[in-house]
Amino acid sequence: MSAGRPGQRARWRPGAVDWLLLVGLAVFAGYVYYQLRHVLVYRWDWQSVLQFFAYRDEAGEWQQNLLLAGLEATLRIAIFSAILSLVLGLVLALMRVSSRLWPRMVARTYVELVRNTPPLVFLFIFYFFISAQLFPVLGIDRVIAALAESDSALVLWLLGDPRLVENLVVGILCLSCFEAAYVSEVLRAGIESVGKDQREGALAVGLTGTQTMWHVVLPQAVRIVIPALVGQLITLVKDTSIMSIISIQELAFSAQEVAVSTDRVFEVWILVALIYFVICYALSALSRRLELRRAVGR
Amino acid sequence: MRQKNRSRYLGDLLIYLAIIGAALWGLRIATTAQAYNWQWYNVPQYLYKIHEGVVYPGPLLRGLITTMQISAGAMVIAAVLGLLVAVLGMSGSRVGRILARGYIEVVRNIPILVLLFLFYFVVAPIFGLGRFASGMLTLALYEAAFAAEIYRAGIEGVPRGQREAAAAVGLTRAQQMRYVVLPQSIPLILPPMTNLAINLIKHSAIVSVIAIFDLANEGRNVISETFMVFEVWFTVALVYLVITTALSFLATGLERRFARSRASARAR
Repeated sequence: MSAGRPGQRARWRPGAVDWLLLVGLAVFAGYVYYQLRHVLVYRWDWQSVLQFFAYRDEAGEWQQNLLLAGLEATLRIAIFSAILSLVLGLVLALMRVSSRLWPRMVARTYVELVRNTPPLVFLFIFYFFISAQLFPVLGIDRVIAALAESDSALVLWLLGDPRLVENLVVGILCLSCFEAAYVSEVLRAGIESVGKDQREGALAVGLTGTQTMWHVVLPQAVRIVIPALVGQLITLVKDTSIMSIISIQELAFSAQEVAVSTDRVFEVWILVALIYFVICYALSALSRRLELRRAVGR
Repeated sequence: MRQKNRSRYLGDLLIYLAIIGAALWGLRIATTAQAYNWQWYNVPQYLYKIHEGVVYPGPLLRGLITTMQISAGAMVIAAVLGLLVAVLGMSGSRVGRILARGYIEVVRNIPILVLLFLFYFVVAPIFGLGRFASGMLTLALYEAAFAAEIYRAGIEGVPRGQREAAAAVGLTRAQQMRYVVLPQSIPLILPPMTNLAINLIKHSAIVSVIAIFDLANEGRNVISETFMVFEVWFTVALVYLVITTALSFLATGLERRFARSRASARAR
C-alpha cells in the first residue's frame, strides 16, 4: 500500500492499484482518441461555436450572440428564482411549524406533491397552468406586455430582452414554485434545530409568538442552514436547465439551437457542460468555505 | 380538555379540506374561463384497453414499463459503480482517490439534462451506444456519485474498533471490508439507498428528451393527440406519486426496523 505513514508523505510511490488505474485510464483515452480520429473522423471547430457567444459586426462592435444571451437568461432566472423561492419557502416553512393543524397540512400536501413528482412533470403542469390559464385570467399577460413595451432602463436591466420577458417570467415563476418546496424543508430543519429554551426564554421576557419567531428563532435558524441553502442554490442553478424543455430560452435551450444549426454537437455540449460546472463548482466551494468557517467559529 | 382538542382538530381538518377544495375549484374556474374542455372520461383508454376480455396496456402503462426498466437497470449499475467509487475514494491509492473525487465533483456540478445531452451526443457515438443505453447510463452515472457518498457515510459510520479487531485476528484489508465492515454498514446504507431509488425514478423522466418512450414522453404524446393537458399530466403525476410514495414507505419501514434491531442489540 502506498499510503504513507503520518509525517512521511513527501514522496509518492505508486502502488499496484495506482498502476492498474493509470493503465486503464491510458487505454480509455487511447480508445477515445482512436474512435474520434479514425472511426468518426471528427474535425474539431471551436471557432464557429465560440462566435455564438459573441461576434464582431460590420462596424467592428462586439455583439452578444445566442449562447451568451442564454447564459444571461440562466443567471437571471437563477437569481430571481432564488429570491422568490426563499420567500415562498419561508412562508411554507412557517406554515409547517405552525401550532394549528391546517397550515401544517396544507404546506405538507404541497411539499410532498412537489417532492414526489418528477421536476419535468411538475414543470409541464405549472407551465401550462401559469402561461395558458392563470396569466390571461388574472390579466398578468397585459402587465407583462406593458413591461415589455416600456423602454425604461430599469426594466431592461432587470429583465433583459423585451421580446422574451414573458418567457423569462414564466420560467422564474415555475422554478420558484418548484424549488420553494425544497427550500422550505431546509428552513424547517433550521427552525426545528433552534433549541426550545431559546423560544421559552424569549416568551419569558415578554415577546409575543411572532416576535419570538422573527427576532429570536429565525435569525439563528437561518445562520444554521446557510450552507444547506447554498447547496440548494446549486441545485436551483442546475434545475434551470430543465426549463429548456418547456422552451424557456436559457443556456441549455440556446445550446440545443446552436448544436442543431451548426452541427458542432461535440463542441457545444462540452462547452456548455463546462460553463455549468464552473458556476456550480464555484458555489460549492463557497458552501464548503461557509461550513468550514462555521465549524471554526464554534 | 380532550373534547376541546378534538373539536379543534376537526375544525382544522375542515379548513384544510375547504382550502384544497377552493384550490381545485379555482383551477376549474380559471380553466373554463379559457374554454378548457375537461374530459376525464377519455383518460382510462390511454392507461389500458380491454379487448375480448383480455387487458392490454395502453400507451401510458407501456411508458411506465419503460420507465421501470430504465430505472431498474440504472439502479443496479449505480449501486455497483457507487460502491466502486466509494472504495476507490477511501483506498490507499492516490490515483484512485483523485479519480473518485474528480468523478463525484464533475457529476454533481453538471445538470443531469446537460449530462444526458453530453452522453447522447458526445459519448454515445464514440462508444457506439444506443438511445436506451445512453439514457440508462446517464442516470446510472449521475446517481452513482450520490450512491458513493451514501456508501462512504455508511462505511465510516461503522466504529473503527470493529476494523481494528478484524485486523488483530489476522484478516486482510479486503477481508475486513467484506466480512466485518460492509455487513455492519448495511443498516446505514439501505434506507438512503431507497431514497436514491426514488430520486432515480423521478430523474428518469428526463430521458424523454432523447425520444425514449417512458411514462413522461408517452404522456406528452397523448397530450399532443388529444389536448387533454391537465388530465394526462395529473394522471402521469399520480402514477409517479404512487410509486415514489410506496418506495418512501419502504425506506421509513427499513429505517424503523434497523433502529429497532439496533436498540435490541444494545439491550442485549
